[in-house]
Amino acid sequence: MNIITGLINGMISGATPILLAALGGTFTFYAGVFNIAMEGMMLTGAFFAVLGSYYFDSWLMGIVCAIIGSLMMALIFILFAVTLKTDEFVTGIALNLFALGATTYMMRQIFNVKGAFSNPGIVPIPRIHIPLLAKIPILGNILSGQNLIIYITVLVVILSAFIIFKTRFGLRLRAAGYNAPSLDSSGVSSAKIRIWSLIICGVLCGLAGAFLSLGYVTLFSENMSAGRGWISLAAVILVNGNPWGIALISLLFGFTDGLGLLLQQYMPSQFTSMVPYVATLIALYFYSIQARKRKA
Amino acid sequence: MQILIEMKEIIKVFPPNVIAVDKVTADFRKGEIHAIVGENGAGKSTLMKVLYGLEHHNQGEIYLAGHRVNFQDPGEAIAHGIGMVHQEILLISQYTVWENIVLGAEPVNFMGMIDRQRARQLVQKKIDEFQFNLNIDAKVDDISVAAAQKVEILKLLYRNVSVLILDEPTAVLTPQEIPQLFNELRRLRDHGHTILFISHHLEEVLTLSDRITVMRKGKKIATVQASETNKTDLAQMMVGRTVLFTTLREKSTAGKQIFSIENLTYIDGAQHKRLENINIKIHEGEIVGIAGVEGNGQFELVNSIMGLIPTKEGSIRVNDVNLTKADILERRQYISFVSQNRGKMGAAVKASILENVMMTHHRLNPQFTRWKGLLLNDQYARKFTEQIEQQFSVVMDQMDNPFRSLSGGNQQKVILGRELLLSTPFVLLDQPTRGLDVGSIEYVHELILEMRDQNRAILLISADLEELFRIADRILVLHRGKIVADLPTDQTDIEEVGYLMLEGKENDAKETD
Repeated sequence: MNIITGLINGMISGATPILLAALGGTFTFYAGVFNIAMEGMMLTGAFFAVLGSYYFDSWLMGIVCAIIGSLMMALIFILFAVTLKTDEFVTGIALNLFALGATTYMMRQIFNVKGAFSNPGIVPIPRIHIPLLAKIPILGNILSGQNLIIYITVLVVILSAFIIFKTRFGLRLRAAGYNAPSLDSSGVSSAKIRIWSLIICGVLCGLAGAFLSLGYVTLFSENMSAGRGWISLAAVILVNGNPWGIALISLLFGFTDGLGLLLQQYMPSQFTSMVPYVATLIALYFYSIQARKRKA
Repeated sequence: MQILIEMKEIIKVFPPNVIAVDKVTADFRKGEIHAIVGENGAGKSTLMKVLYGLEHHNQGEIYLAGHRVNFQDPGEAIAHGIGMVHQEILLISQYTVWENIVLGAEPVNFMGMIDRQRARQLVQKKIDEFQFNLNIDAKVDDISVAAAQKVEILKLLYRNVSVLILDEPTAVLTPQEIPQLFNELRRLRDHGHTILFISHHLEEVLTLSDRITVMRKGKKIATVQASETNKTDLAQMMVGRTVLFTTLREKSTAGKQIFSIENLTYIDGAQHKRLENINIKIHEGEIVGIAGVEGNGQFELVNSIMGLIPTKEGSIRVNDVNLTKADILERRQYISFVSQNRGKMGAAVKASILENVMMTHHRLNPQFTRWKGLLLNDQYARKFTEQIEQQFSVVMDQMDNPFRSLSGGNQQKVILGRELLLSTPFVLLDQPTRGLDVGSIEYVHELILEMRDQNRAILLISADLEELFRIADRILVLHRGKIVADLPTDQTDIEEVGYLMLEGKENDAKETD
């Protein structure tokens, strides 16, 4: 029983950063921005989360700093891809590489360590115990006692689905992606909508980063996002941006993540850490078959 | 009638030195249908875009009901009651009719949620008011082009626009749909709306409008009452010389058969029959036209003939050579081809004019290459380009400039020249005059007739029925992938062909369902 709850909890915490980044990505997906910078935004968020938490002695400041850091990356993306109209793909690649270099450099300069920075002074984001839910047999250990960010994430899924499909902003957001000139001619600037979608993406990737370095573990290590931003991109594309679909796919990736950890007892860890990526490839394969059927 | 809009001495210069609108002064009255006619590049669209705030004029003044205005963007113009429907339909095909109409001015409740009920009510009210026959819950993807155009107009009416600018609204409609649009526009005028109507179809302009402003090369030539002018006068003002509207056909004696398609059927990936049992025979010195509403198999027919999609059933022959399975280069020895898409298939727009001229020739004519085809013969290619420039009176600066630096008419002349000089027995023309102005169209038609006189067999696919009636000897009507009629041009008329295009043969509908 404990193995199963452990596996489910592993799945949930593995899914959370992917899910948050993918929800950010889905806003840009609907707005028609080919945004691949989630990886870099998340990594920057993770670094600034540790920075904020360590220096202000507060996890809340950690989250705030993570969002600010990730937003800075989003603003660079906006400046180049939306305002200066550079190629979105190249801009995204540049940002991801920049984030990797910059966070590694800053970690070495500020904390004087190589590889990873862990310190008791970093305040982690607390787990929330919900007294009533905790008493439910079996499910209690899953529903209660999770990290604060995980509860926020559930809220974000519901809110995203509501905003994208029910509100005025959502109608305009999707319009920007479907046919931007049409939206412009309706008197709404598609560039502005894209800017907002990237700002939302920045905030959510910041949260994802904060969860990585202050929730999943309490440390910052070089390249700690480890491709989760790319997986979140795959998740968005796989389900055509639907927030509920993204939640499902993210849980699947979280599960393979947890499975990889479990398999480490039997196989070399370098091998098991391939599992989520192999899962991505398999998912993409099935997606392409389905897409071809739909087209025909 | 009172003057609503006055444009005074408007000048618009596109950098560096193209004067698109040259000191134009015009006025538009409340409650009139006012046509603005002119050839492509005459400045009529630019003038209207200046009024709409989409382009900014360099000099001049605009007055709306006596007050000076200068709209910075279309949003401001709409707020002042001036709206424009563009030539291409700008709707979101994934959205429903009502969603498209309210987009940008959505009624919302306190939570920012779209108030569906109120939005649908408001849209339905507008539809009822102007008797537009539309289903507000239909997806735009599923409705016809004519209906989509109505949605565009409704989108402006929903924003309480009283001046409607329409940029060539009939270009996308079939002959049967045009009277309905005109009735709706007249109804709008009778409700007190002002309609500014850009067109280069003179007959339409004469039927619909109250007054007509003619533009040529950026200048206004005149504003006339529609009731006091005629087609010949308008054309003369537009082009600056006399244009003949007579048919250019002459009885040609059919010679031996050059081109044939037998029992061609094409089934696409989704198991839809796109072409069914097509039989076409064309003799030397004969122009055969294909009429049909777009999407009835023209695309597949062209691609089958050119070898861009595989032919599994049926055969294609030129001069008794079976080309059914031939590769494209082999086909090109027998077929000249002018694609409807100048920029994508007809030419490589970023490549130079020279490179575009020698395409295909460099594979078929050994004079274009040296060393057994390993090197290109630049000298010969330049001479050849000069020949095309002179023979087809192309206006070009340097042959090394990119192809896209040419105007649309000149681009088409280069492509036609290249294909003509392939000297093939069969010529396939897919919408060769699309997007060209009256003068260029006339020239292209002359070229086609010249090809006929050289005893070539010509297949002309066109959405412009007047064009077909002007030059084709026979007209085939394509409907849902079938040829439903084969009519000698002098034994039919536009109404009959138009009817067949829309309805097919009466028993046709039963067969396909």
